Amino acid sequence: MQYKDYYKIMGLSRDASKDEIKRAYRKLARKYHPDVSKEKDAEAKFKELGEAYEVLKDPEKRAAYDQLGAHWKAGQDFRPPPNWNEGFEFKGGGFTGGDAGAFSDFFEQLFGHAGFGAANRSQYGFHARGQDSHAKIYIDLEDSFHGATRNISLSTPEINSQGQVQLKHRSLNIKIPKGIKAGQHIRLAGQGNPGAGEGQSGDLFLEIAFNNHPLFRIVESDVYLDLPVTPWEAALGGKIKVPTPEGSVDLKIPPNSRQGSKLRLSGRGLPAQVPGDFYVVLQIALPPANTEKAKAVYQKMHEELDFNPRQSLGVYQQ
Amino acid sequence: MKSHDLLLVLTGTVIEEDSLTLGQLCRACGVHADWIISLVEEGIIEPQGEDMRLWRFSGASLVRARTALRIQRDLEVNLAGIALVLDLMEELESLRTKMKTLGHV
Repeated sequence: MQYKDYYKIMGLSRDASKDEIKRAYRKLARKYHPDVSKEKDAEAKFKELGEAYEVLKDPEKRAAYDQLGAHWKAGQDFRPPPNWNEGFEFKGGGFTGGDAGAFSDFFEQLFGHAGFGAANRSQYGFHARGQDSHAKIYIDLEDSFHGATRNISLSTPEINSQGQVQLKHRSLNIKIPKGIKAGQHIRLAGQGNPGAGEGQSGDLFLEIAFNNHPLFRIVESDVYLDLPVTPWEAALGGKIKVPTPEGSVDLKIPPNSRQGSKLRLSGRGLPAQVPGDFYVVLQIALPPANTEKAKAVYQKMHEELDFNPRQSLGVYQQ
Repeated sequence: MKSHDLLLVLTGTVIEEDSLTLGQLCRACGVHADWIISLVEEGIIEPQGEDMRLWRFSGASLVRARTALRIQRDLEVNLAGIALVLDLMEELESLRTKMKTLGHV
């Protein structure tokens, strides 16, 4: 078990005041909150912060923690000394708030497990429906196009017969319905947390998100493809083969197409109730002038074409 | 994993737009109805239907309500602040999507 330096996590000195602790928590919580943070490892950092605050905000826990001494280094292998917490009483188990399943072994070793006592309640005829649980799952674009069966693994905190919180891992095979979009939910009845007593299990809500695709971008029900074309294909028009999630199609490029032109294939986006569209965004690729022949062609264009892309800038020079 | 586990495939129901009742949303968030009602009063989530008994919430409302719950719990922001945070987050998200469609990833 590794020692955790709660002061270091919160960026505080060991003699920080109660107000300083609160201020530091507020500031870091805003920085690392998984809903608003773009920091890497925001979730892990936020959990660590919650744990540190749980200890340092509570004078009893803080005093007990301080008693371990200042010579420990974060990450150092740690065993609590015998009777280290003699004379301290932690009311209501270790937890007063926060995410019960999320605290570290280090915390549990010092302050104990959460005492929910839910497991005992059934003896007194207590029945309650289990809580609904939530997970976000990432699927491939192709799964929505064709429908699929996907195996997902979930880990959920569960309370065992001793009233302790443990992470339980399980895997489920679920059907991904055709045409599902990012942000939509699938509800699996009875797959949430188990109920107490004879209460029913809760439901499991899965929020859908897409994995990044090497070719396609997805926006709502529409699918986008950046399509490189040659200058002459864009200028003269033509028919070219284009990959779509349902196989390649022949696409007609109209003459005088410009960089960034969007061409729409109606109804070829996600097969939702109202099917999305497929958009091809033209990206004009310039051939390199790395041979005499290529240079000659560019030179000829320069001589033959009266073309000034900077007309609107008001500066004209050859 | 045992072999019979592989055969068991669960089929869920897709939550279509405006299909969750007040009771279902409360259960899904693990909160009391009063709290959901206060979100509606603050305009944080907007159900279809006039009467509370006929309210229907969308999957997006579920996401907003759960985010609101976490922000309130973790950052101690009040409802007006939560409404502001959620709106700004959504604006940020739509700007990101726009950048994605323009190819500036």
